Amino acid sequence: MNRIFIVAQSEFLTLVKTKAFLIGLLLMPVITAGAIGFQVYAQKHSDRDDHKFVVIDHSGVLYAPLAEAASAFNVKNGTGKERTGPNFIADSAPSATPDDAYRVTLSEQIKQKTLFAFVEIPADVVDPNVETPPAISYYTETPSYDRLPDWLSQTLNEEITKRRFNTAGVDQTLVKKLSTRAKINTMGLLAKNTDGSVKQAEKVDEIATFVAPFAVLFIMFLSVMSTAPQLLNAVIEEKMSRISEVLVASVSPFELLMGKLFGVTAVAVLLALVYFLGAGYYAIYAGRTELVQPALMGWFVIFLVCCVLMFGSMFLAIGSACSDIKDAQSMMQPVMMLMMVGYIGSFAVLRAPESNLAMGLSFFPTSAPFIMMLRMAMQPTPPLWQPALSLAITLVTTVAFVWAASRIFRVGVLMQGKGATFAEMIRWIRAS
Amino acid sequence: MAAIEISSVTKRFGTYAAVNDVSLSVPEGSIYGFIGPNGSGKTTTIRMIMNILLPDAGDVTVFGRHSSSSARDDVGYLPEERGLYKRMPVRRLLRYYGQLKGKSVKDLDPVINTWLERFQLTPWGDKKIEALSKGMAQKVQFISAIVSKPKLLILDEPFSGLDPVNADALKDAVLDLRRQGTTIVFSTHDMLAAERLCDRIFMIFKGQKVLDGTLDEIQSNYGHDTVRVKVSGGHAALAGFTEIESINDYGNHQDLRLVGDPQAFLLKLAQKTAVQHFELTKPSLHDIFVRIAQPTAEDMKPPVPGAHS
Repeated sequence: MNRIFIVAQSEFLTLVKTKAFLIGLLLMPVITAGAIGFQVYAQKHSDRDDHKFVVIDHSGVLYAPLAEAASAFNVKNGTGKERTGPNFIADSAPSATPDDAYRVTLSEQIKQKTLFAFVEIPADVVDPNVETPPAISYYTETPSYDRLPDWLSQTLNEEITKRRFNTAGVDQTLVKKLSTRAKINTMGLLAKNTDGSVKQAEKVDEIATFVAPFAVLFIMFLSVMSTAPQLLNAVIEEKMSRISEVLVASVSPFELLMGKLFGVTAVAVLLALVYFLGAGYYAIYAGRTELVQPALMGWFVIFLVCCVLMFGSMFLAIGSACSDIKDAQSMMQPVMMLMMVGYIGSFAVLRAPESNLAMGLSFFPTSAPFIMMLRMAMQPTPPLWQPALSLAITLVTTVAFVWAASRIFRVGVLMQGKGATFAEMIRWIRAS
Repeated sequence: MAAIEISSVTKRFGTYAAVNDVSLSVPEGSIYGFIGPNGSGKTTTIRMIMNILLPDAGDVTVFGRHSSSSARDDVGYLPEERGLYKRMPVRRLLRYYGQLKGKSVKDLDPVINTWLERFQLTPWGDKKIEALSKGMAQKVQFISAIVSKPKLLILDEPFSGLDPVNADALKDAVLDLRRQGTTIVFSTHDMLAAERLCDRIFMIFKGQKVLDGTLDEIQSNYGHDTVRVKVSGGHAALAGFTEIESINDYGNHQDLRLVGDPQAFLLKLAQKTAVQHFELTKPSLHDIFVRIAQPTAEDMKPPVPGAHS
């Protein structure tokens, strides 16, 4: 036991005392915040060009209001350095009945970048008696840019509806008033207080429903992902430089394996705690004390420990069976996939926490720690038997994986030369 | 009590017997040399002594104990190459290896300091292994094998790749440890080192024990049939003698293996050319090694994985 602790301590220090670890630990939140900040900035600042477009208006009535709306749009986006968006500059077609030659000319102009797009509005688009109004055509070289067509569709349709109502003799302000939509507020449930009075339901909020549970899952994923795979490289390095031989001359392969597993588990728990402390501090700072749930933390640590032991033992087994990093990379793919199952599945589970898929993933050993934690952080909290069963399955699987890994590790760690195949690894597990 | 007692040990990898029915007794306080060509079973034998591998048949005891971790704590091991964490500082690495043998940091630090001082490595104590030269790293490796003050020290090729100054420093250290009562087993391809340092020599070839004894005993077994000669005309003048079984040409002199009476041969030789030197000698360990391990077609086969030597 003492030797396991010594190995674990050394593994822990080796992982934690690197600059990469500290940088990674501190940089993770910075990178995440930076990425979000950049997206916001880019959205505001990247699209500040003038987009000139020509309108071929067969209806004869839509160009004027469109040009007016464009000017208003441009004013709203500001000018010069303060400009926060694009300018749309409308131009009308010279002749009301353009031919294809004219359309080709416009297309050429777009190719030469003197024009961005042109729009052709059919004549009877404002006619209230047409069953299915003809489509407006938008011609462009840059179909991925959707701000202009979106704006056109919005502006033109407002104008078209207004005109149709007018022609039909209906008062548009009245229609607007009558067709105001009723909002739906998503509420939690009511409850009875101890004194018999009714505790009113509260409005559900986004952060508690989606952000907090996903953060729990993400911290689990990040803690496992940034620790367990490191075991693979560590073992291969030890094998290649014959350190394993020296180690196995001092401790048994099992002690070595357990020491390594406990070492990275400690690192993973440390990582998770640091992130949770940060998140908790932020939640309290923002006045959302109710998001901090100590009981959930208990479950989290137990699931995290299992998860690191489970994946860590897979990586150790593969590392010990391979003779170089190249070998290992292809063999670790399936393990990576198993790890991703929980993460990818979480998006579907977040929307339907009680679906069959969610249940299945909660009880599937390698995804259980991720999905069960996610569901426990969500509403409605699953009944206690579910996390209990999920944990039991995870524990049994963890023990099985660690046992199998110790069998492979025992043989593999001293093998030199050619790496083993999965079939050989299974033989090692079964060998006495 | 013997430090190591190996009785009728066999170890197979698949159908290949890496070590076949080998027995050996290493007395306490001796220096035992393990020699043998690559792939002949040296490392497998060493690994069984260290309880890394278990024999398929037979019995290995170290200080009278079977494979237990307490026996393992009394054994220090220096692998043939590397065996150090590149990115770990020297002192931390030495402490770690010592702790793995069950020693406390408090006991280890004075020993570490003494040895770093002795090998002039003190200024490098806090440097990472990767910053060290090859010679320095090898000395650190040696210290790592002895920080726990083992009663038995196993050295796999300790002198290979060392310059003469470092090799001497290591040899002195080995002899000092022996004086303090440490039993030492080392494997080597350096026959001169084996002749000079070892009390006893063990040779394994194709998994079988072929030599075991003191240098004198071994040489006596191989007879005094070697003659060192120096003649006018050198190697060429020795052609045509039916008594000469083989010639080992050293340029200035030749070692001959004879069949028949050396005196009769001297007479014949003197009639043919001027004899400047004629000496009956024992065969060197080198000659004995070569005589046993002449390459055969069998040796040209690729080595069996896992039976690495």
